[in-house]
Amino acid sequence: MTTIAAFAAALMLLGAPGKVESIKATDLDGKPVEIQTAGKITTVIFISTQCPISNDYNERMKSLYSEFSQRGVQFVFLNPNSTESSAEAAEHARKHGFPFRVLKDVNNVEADRFEAQFTPHVFVIGKNSEVVYHGAIDDSRPADKVTKTYLKDVLNAALEDKPLPVTETKAFGCTIKRVKKST
Amino acid sequence: MKHFLPVLFVLAAGLVSAADLKPIDESGYSRFVSSAKGKVLVVNFWATWCAPCRKEMPELVALAAKYRAKGLEFATVAIDEESDRRTVAEFLDKIKAPPPAFIKNFKNDEKFISLVDSRWSGGLPFTVVYDRAGRKAHVFPGEVNVQELEAVLRKLL
Repeated sequence: MTTIAAFAAALMLLGAPGKVESIKATDLDGKPVEIQTAGKITTVIFISTQCPISNDYNERMKSLYSEFSQRGVQFVFLNPNSTESSAEAAEHARKHGFPFRVLKDVNNVEADRFEAQFTPHVFVIGKNSEVVYHGAIDDSRPADKVTKTYLKDVLNAALEDKPLPVTETKAFGCTIKRVKKST
Repeated sequence: MKHFLPVLFVLAAGLVSAADLKPIDESGYSRFVSSAKGKVLVVNFWATWCAPCRKEMPELVALAAKYRAKGLEFATVAIDEESDRRTVAEFLDKIKAPPPAFIKNFKNDEKFISLVDSRWSGGLPFTVVYDRAGRKAHVFPGEVNVQELEAVLRKLL
């Protein structure tokens, strides 16, 4: 039991939520949405309307979505910040010409489950619904200084059933603004 | 000559100018923490683009001033690009943050984050407290609870 508890604690520290069979959120009109992950490679990205780091990745997220959604990868873009409304997220998506839909993670329920800490924070879920990668999109906020394209490399490997080049990375970002919960 | 007096006063108060902002890399950070042994050290990682960082910093500066005489050293590390040096210095000067103040010059962000604390995801703000022996005593991911920080400092000082 101790071993299992220690292993579970280690997983928590690593930010791995275990099996993620579905993701529940609401669309920007407030309707509930549930996305199943079984049998698909799913990329979940926690994003922000106001975080300059997240915004610096807007164009890269658009490119990744365009390339990999055509190859069968399912994308889920979640806005978990309590300080950013659905209306603000909708306006932000329109202004930046997002080709993907953004969902609201009301009360940061999914951010808590994934232990997402910052924006943009990426989680890749394999076909068996296990989280196989979490961390950064790449290794540089300025796009012209990128040397390692973590997410792209992980998705390419996952699509080809090859070993993943990396399973966890860290990067600077804006802390997710969570709802204040009464204790 | 009269005009020099206010200038000297400001310098004596130890505020941060753009010239005082020192680039810091992985080895420089380790050396700095080691050099602060004998004092309790609080390092606040922040950025000009980080609203919660800007919000909490004045309170941290006030706390630093309150406990400086008891052996507290307060340092800031700005996770801004070198091109933002002036903006960083202007903010630190505006809130009267004391030196030392650093700006990131890391070779590898990910390695630096892990070097500071293995539990740190990279989200800002992030604050670390070291005891007088240079050992990590406490970390604050996200905004600092000032009462909690003060309680930690009282135990260590």
